[in-house]
Amino acid sequence: MKHFYLAFFSFIFNGLLFSQGFQVNFQGQKQQGMGCAGTALYQDGASLFYNPGSVAFSNESSINIATTPIFANVLYVDSATGLGYRTKNPVGTPFSAYGLFQTHKNAKLKLGLAAYTPFGSTVQWEDAWIGRFALTRLELKAIFIQPTISYRIADVIGIGAGFIVSTGNVNLQKDIPVQDSLGNYGHAELSGKAIGFGFNVGIHYDLNKKLSVGLTYRSKIGMDLKNSGSDTTSAIFTVPNSLAANFPNGRFSGSLPLPSVTTLGFAYKPTDKWQFVLDINYVGWKAYDTLAFDYDKNTTSLVDTKSPRNYKNIFAFRGGGQYKALSKLDLRIGGGFGFTPVPDASVTPETPDANRAYITGGISYRFTDKFSMDASIYYTQIKRTAQNMETNLYGTFQTKAIAPGFSLIYKW
Amino acid sequence: MGRNLKWIGLGIVVLTTIISCKPKYEEPPISKGEIDPTRFVMLGGGHVAGYMNDGLYFEGQQNSLANIIAQQFATVGGGGFNQPMVDQSSIGISSNLLAPMKLGYKTDCKGVTSLSPIRIAAQGDLSIFNQNIYSTSALFGNYGIPGLKLSDVFSNSFAASNPFFGRIASSSTTRVIDDAFASQPTFFSLFLGLEEVLSYAKSGGKIDNMPSNSLFASDYEQVLQIATANGAKGVITTIPDVSEMPYFTTIPWNGLTLDAVNNTTLNAIYNPLGYYFQVGSNPFMIVDSTANDFAVRQILSNELLLLSLPLDSVKCNQMGVLFPIRDEFVLDTGELQYLRSVITGYNQVIRDLAAEYNLAVVSADEFSSKLKSGFVYNGVTMSSKFVSGGAYSLDGIHLNEKGNALLANEFIKSINQKYKSRIPLVNANAYNATFFP
Repeated sequence: MKHFYLAFFSFIFNGLLFSQGFQVNFQGQKQQGMGCAGTALYQDGASLFYNPGSVAFSNESSINIATTPIFANVLYVDSATGLGYRTKNPVGTPFSAYGLFQTHKNAKLKLGLAAYTPFGSTVQWEDAWIGRFALTRLELKAIFIQPTISYRIADVIGIGAGFIVSTGNVNLQKDIPVQDSLGNYGHAELSGKAIGFGFNVGIHYDLNKKLSVGLTYRSKIGMDLKNSGSDTTSAIFTVPNSLAANFPNGRFSGSLPLPSVTTLGFAYKPTDKWQFVLDINYVGWKAYDTLAFDYDKNTTSLVDTKSPRNYKNIFAFRGGGQYKALSKLDLRIGGGFGFTPVPDASVTPETPDANRAYITGGISYRFTDKFSMDASIYYTQIKRTAQNMETNLYGTFQTKAIAPGFSLIYKW
Repeated sequence: MGRNLKWIGLGIVVLTTIISCKPKYEEPPISKGEIDPTRFVMLGGGHVAGYMNDGLYFEGQQNSLANIIAQQFATVGGGGFNQPMVDQSSIGISSNLLAPMKLGYKTDCKGVTSLSPIRIAAQGDLSIFNQNIYSTSALFGNYGIPGLKLSDVFSNSFAASNPFFGRIASSSTTRVIDDAFASQPTFFSLFLGLEEVLSYAKSGGKIDNMPSNSLFASDYEQVLQIATANGAKGVITTIPDVSEMPYFTTIPWNGLTLDAVNNTTLNAIYNPLGYYFQVGSNPFMIVDSTANDFAVRQILSNELLLLSLPLDSVKCNQMGVLFPIRDEFVLDTGELQYLRSVITGYNQVIRDLAAEYNLAVVSADEFSSKLKSGFVYNGVTMSSKFVSGGAYSLDGIHLNEKGNALLANEFIKSINQKYKSRIPLVNANAYNATFFP
């Protein structure tokens, strides 16, 4: 005869925030000013991200550093109780740095080095919120380093390719529904570091003096959290003493696919003063069909999990215009629309994602021929009512995000 | 200088705007619909009283089914809701005068220490029963009385026989029905019929005081006539299949684990009767006078062992092995069939009466089945598993605070649907479950 069974509390971690968040393309201030588009237009070093093929049309060496603090606030209103809960998001600060080099003027070969943070978000929900057993905090940091070669194979055609090394940190926390003798809930913290590899290739073709097209492909990058090589993971559980054996601290492995992005872009320059761009992204979110966590030490309470995600491949449309107001000043405006890859049943507090429209604006000011600055601003608000299939959280997520960005460029 | 200040000022304004850019929270519309929640009375047994962990005590009462519902009524104009509170400093008391239970460590006859429900004190707080707290100026809304059967409602000796009623009765010979409806409630709820089927089930089917279906129907209708006399609307409740409660489902029927030596011995003893054993898990032996001359047989997989089973006797003194488990600890196939047929009959009565009196009805039987199969509530897996299921208290019969909140939501949903009200549900995750040492 055994003691009373105490088979506990299946333990599931849900998805991650980076869905469309990854696709906001906060990697270049000029592009951000024009709805985050610019695949068919060489702008500056940021084209290393947007289209390595366009970089072949640069005729400079330059250094470009930029940051775009994101102020995002999410409100969740629970359908059953009508109660509202908010995130207290610390400011996310994506940055980018681009270096672009050519050996001599009008060289056909360009070399570039890009460093950027395609996602770097933190979501921290208010204390004791209704979804505390799904998520209390998610922090995701990833830095991509991309050495790039671009070559102008003809006067009107440029190609380029970059190799991407990504290093990512993930920290995921939630409460566990077990209470100690004072009523405090247990807590779980999973953190890991991962390195991933990928590439970014593109071609740029000037159809005529006014119209260009660009095509790029950024590969999927698998961020494998595991306990080998330089990667480390840890799962730490705070639970009542009597349950410590059910939740052994240890390691885990898991994988987060960052999807491929294929972009077809157009740039049109009707006059010397005006420039218009349009990008169409196709994002391979289907890669994210399951989120699995494999714990080194399993117990009846701590079992490996496989959570269906069932994301869909999606299209996003981005466009904008640039007006040369003064010889030293450009003004920009733009916007975009992206379909959400997240099915209703997979909407989580980490990915309160929805179809989203956004608007942007920006300016550039050239102090001298060599030194200039850009600024941009991005605004979006989204709303999604859904019931998650794993946690049964059923309510409405509303997000407002505003992201002012700023960069300095020096070229020679 | 002045120009700079202007720019700085503008910068501050812009920055503040950016940081304070938040989605606006709009209070969802709430309304009482067709109900008048001014004076709410709920009538029932321990499940209504806030009795849990085998005891009546302050925190349990505060999070009683009746009180949680009343608190939500308050959001749509409900009045104050008086409960016959036990003093906050009191440890509380159980039906058999013991102290309530908590989860602690217990060492069994084999010297193995494990998590187990233990009493928080040697004895309950008897002073609770020594004082009558009835007051004409603050009539009670919660007439959840542990042990209250439907027929007790009309008894003028119940105050004398049940101390939980005795302490709140207006006189020693008053009837529950008179006291409960003295406040002329504008909305009422009944959760009746549960205590009679529970008392049968807890006796292992030995004591049957369950009224016939027709008697149950006429008693229930009498209560409804009184409750609706002033035109009050209400919500009534079906009876869960109590055999789904952890009190009856925790001890496994095949928990008899045998090694090679014991296996050989038992086979030698029982093979002549036609019972066979194997190394590993086996069915316990139970008393059954109809089985054979020795009145002993193996328990069947669909039969249930009660949590009252003395586990030390099982572990160390051959209970369930050489000494079959007595009838009082077993619900056998016939008893279960009978129990379930009675519950089904009562529930038909309740549903019919709800329709006849045009009342909302809560399917507590479906709630119980849903718990049995388990479901996820806002990220928490809830089930009727003992302790770990999160919904039942340590007595295995009464819901804990979180379970009450979940069931209260079923009441509110049912009221909202029937009476076109929009009363918000509660966040059950804000209510406590069992505390672990």
